Amino acid sequence: MVQKENREGVKGWLNPTRYGLSRISYWLQRLTGVGLLAYFIAHVIETSSLAEGKLAWEAMLDLTQTPGGHLILIIVIGMSAFHAANGVRLYITEGGKGIGRPGRPDYPYRPVSLSPRVRACIWVSIALAAVAMMYGATVLFGE
Amino acid sequence: MRESHIMNIHYITALAALVLVGIHIMFRLIMPYAESLQYENVIANYQNLPYSIVLELILVTVAIHGFNGLRIILIEWRQGEHWEKGVTWTCIAAAIAIIAYGTRTILIASMAGAA
Repeated sequence: MVQKENREGVKGWLNPTRYGLSRISYWLQRLTGVGLLAYFIAHVIETSSLAEGKLAWEAMLDLTQTPGGHLILIIVIGMSAFHAANGVRLYITEGGKGIGRPGRPDYPYRPVSLSPRVRACIWVSIALAAVAMMYGATVLFGE
Repeated sequence: MRESHIMNIHYITALAALVLVGIHIMFRLIMPYAESLQYENVIANYQNLPYSIVLELILVTVAIHGFNGLRIILIEWRQGEHWEKGVTWTCIAAAIAIIAYGTRTILIASMAGAA
């Protein structure tokens, strides 16, 4: 049986008092995942206008190829870059690589699993997303 | 299916999607972006059989990865036998629906102008 006090739901995820780098990465991975799924569904619907012919396709481009549409695409590029890079990190760490050896929990209780290498990987994922967004902006707004 | 097998599928589809989406993006960048979106160019892309196979694989891998990711989030959010079954079957149905809808576009677009 599920204890009611153990069921914090979204409030538990959002609780800022428990935020560390791993928590931020956990949240960003889920947030970007849901965002990318929403974009994927919208993209499949958007490209389906191809089946209606040239006029329908061009009408869809008029709707999406706007500064607002480009801004959404830039956010999607950033989400993809972070989700992919952080996903590769998760793939490696869940395989047991780079997380160090288990140790006695001594004060100030720094998680040994969040090693400097793992921390660096999270920051690299964020940096990669920023670089990808800048490149995307150059391509989309540079024409 | 065991949850560990589902996680393996999640990782395999992630790596496959990474490579396939990379190819998809490169097709948009081999010429100026706006030009690559012109109807004739997009249809020509779809009529290229290897590329249309890549598109179909993207559709399948991203749908499986995306909807399984959503299922994981929803099951973390709330537990219970009915909830888990409902979430699982809704995600499977949604993935099948989006794959079918996208496949329809790929088939029609790859045959456009062929008649």
